[in-house]
Amino acid sequence: MAEAFPIRKIIHVDMDAFYASVEQLDNPDLVGKPVAVGGGGKRGVVSAASYEARKFGVRSAMSGVLARQRCPELIFVRPRFDRYKEISTAIHKIFHEYTDLVEPLSLDEAYLDVTENKKGNPSATLVARDIRDRIKEKTGLNASAGISVNKFVAKVASDINKPNGQKTVPPEEVIEFLEGLDIKKFYGVGKVMKEKMYRLGIFTGKDLKSKPIEFLEEHFGKSGAYYFNIVRGIQNSQVKPTRTRKSLAAERTFSENISSEVFMLERLEDIAAEVERRLKKSKVAGKTITLKIKYSDFTLQTRSRTLPYFVSTKELLMENVKDLLFQDKMRESVRLLGISLSNLNNEDKTKEDKPPPENSIDVQLKLDF
Amino acid sequence: MKFIVSSSYLLKQLQVLGGIINSNNTLPILDNFLFDLDGNTLNVSASDLETTISSKLDVESSEKGSVCIPARLLLDTLKTFPEQPLTFTVEDNNTVEISSNHGKYALAYASGEEFPNPVELKDPFSTTIQGDILATAISKTIFASGNDDLRPVMSGVFFQFSTESLTFVATDAHKLVKYSRADVTANQTAEFIMPKKPLNLLKGILAASEEDVIIEYNESNAKFSFDNTEMVCRLIDGKYPNYEAVIPKENPNRLTIDRTQFLNSVRRVSIFSNKTTHQIRLKCAGAELNISAEDIDYSNKAEERLTCDYQGDDMQIGFNSRFLTEMLNNLTSDDVSLEMSLPNRAGILTPVDGLDEGEEITMLVMPVMLNN
Repeated sequence: MAEAFPIRKIIHVDMDAFYASVEQLDNPDLVGKPVAVGGGGKRGVVSAASYEARKFGVRSAMSGVLARQRCPELIFVRPRFDRYKEISTAIHKIFHEYTDLVEPLSLDEAYLDVTENKKGNPSATLVARDIRDRIKEKTGLNASAGISVNKFVAKVASDINKPNGQKTVPPEEVIEFLEGLDIKKFYGVGKVMKEKMYRLGIFTGKDLKSKPIEFLEEHFGKSGAYYFNIVRGIQNSQVKPTRTRKSLAAERTFSENISSEVFMLERLEDIAAEVERRLKKSKVAGKTITLKIKYSDFTLQTRSRTLPYFVSTKELLMENVKDLLFQDKMRESVRLLGISLSNLNNEDKTKEDKPPPENSIDVQLKLDF
Repeated sequence: MKFIVSSSYLLKQLQVLGGIINSNNTLPILDNFLFDLDGNTLNVSASDLETTISSKLDVESSEKGSVCIPARLLLDTLKTFPEQPLTFTVEDNNTVEISSNHGKYALAYASGEEFPNPVELKDPFSTTIQGDILATAISKTIFASGNDDLRPVMSGVFFQFSTESLTFVATDAHKLVKYSRADVTANQTAEFIMPKKPLNLLKGILAASEEDVIIEYNESNAKFSFDNTEMVCRLIDGKYPNYEAVIPKENPNRLTIDRTQFLNSVRRVSIFSNKTTHQIRLKCAGAELNISAEDIDYSNKAEERLTCDYQGDDMQIGFNSRFLTEMLNNLTSDDVSLEMSLPNRAGILTPVDGLDEGEEITMLVMPVMLNN
């Protein structure tokens, strides 16, 4: 049944402990030592950990305090995103030597569709090896790769022989591979979904496959069909070279919880300035402004409002953020504030051409009575 | 009942009163003028139930009585006469006979008692204002009032009287005009919302009149008395929006420019603007104002540059050109000043010169948010 579609060759390339490896590369003193990139302060979070650190159980997204508990020798390094970006660009250049169908997921991860590649190499496995060699040669960094017929399997596969390895799941093995896969490895299955699946007696791909689509849709709603297909090796999601941004945000965690709105406003000014900077860089503006508030008890609250027009400046952002901030009382002191802007004006214009494009009509504003 | 009156004198008065008569009345009696005769005084009234306006005319008579005469028929007839005395006689056969130099005309009449009585104002306050000042106040503000049935209060002009000044405000939420006179005051503070129709009538009648107008008002009605005329109207019920709150206190970017030049440029450029939004773009930088418009649907485009006096940050702001045109047109000064802050905040348009002592005009216009 999968034969109905032309078999594609997708490679998922994932840099090994990217940020940490870059730091070790640039600073040889760090080589062979447990390194964590991120803030080491009270509220710092580990963005990336070197393999030496991972042995101690240090993981990315772990709090700095916990990481230090697990590995007292851990060396914290401040992230240097500009440098990572620079290396990422170099790596992308290598990708483009093989194919233009590159979909970046983040600075250190990307999907490549090499069904037809510029080198004319029919073996995706060899292409992947080639790419990894080139990355090592150019940047001195290790990359892992997963090769298969769709993005999902390729991504799962890239984890198998990590670090500095690769895994090919050929078309004839895809079904078997998926059947044997622990359900928690499925893309889109997080902690909550895993619990739910386990409760329903779904532990592996095989269990998932045994369930009829109706059953899945009943329990998982719209995602049901996705799971039904994915476990059968059906995923037609294309490798999209450009993704349109859906939202843009900036946020800050404070070293001390704040409870006064005055101080919050002060911080929000900075955050708004950052959002403005990012908006300028991406050349977008947005209509929906969301204020994100994380209280000291870690509960999250968002307040948002959609304007009839697009905003892109700090002043306009702040004007609305201020309203959102004062709209309601703060339940607790606040540990994190963030501003996000969505409903951006970079959406596919072709879609909106048919009905009168509401977005392009400039909006007459009203006095606020 | 019989009286003699000059044809042109009568026509002139009736034409003023006729302005209040609706073209399609649900109450047929309102299609009539009420003629109320008391010796040498003829009191003629017209009404649309909301507003009743009446004038006292000098006629030659020694009788009493009241009749309702079809307004349309009477006006059409009077218009055709050259100046001459006309004799009105109420006949027994339910007709009024008019005799002129040319002949006789009979109109069916209804009894004067059928005509609705004008409202008597209970415990009114009263303020006196010169006719042309009131007319100016009306004409400066009324164009800015709204037509939204959902917000009836904004379909009128807000009269705000105090012991320091009289203030008149109109807004449709897109634009707002506040006209105040510190040289005319009331004995007590009072606020009421006048509907547009009677104001338009007053504006016409009082345009060049230096006569005093006595305004009496209570909770629900207002009465304007001047010369030989009285107008009683029902006020718009409701609370006027807190307009003071929307007038920006600080608009740091100030543009000063020749009004006629600005108006002409806006008019020309707006021809090229989008036909539904009428939106034009103002760019202020240095001593230059750049006005541009574009209609993408038709690839029409225009741009003009004007020298101006501009103090503030470089900025771009969009406006509906019709609002700007209306407002600039309504002003009479040589120069105007437009004060702005942000592209989503109201701009304040004020005349720089040509105001009387104590006279103040503030016009607000909300921008159009530009999508760049």
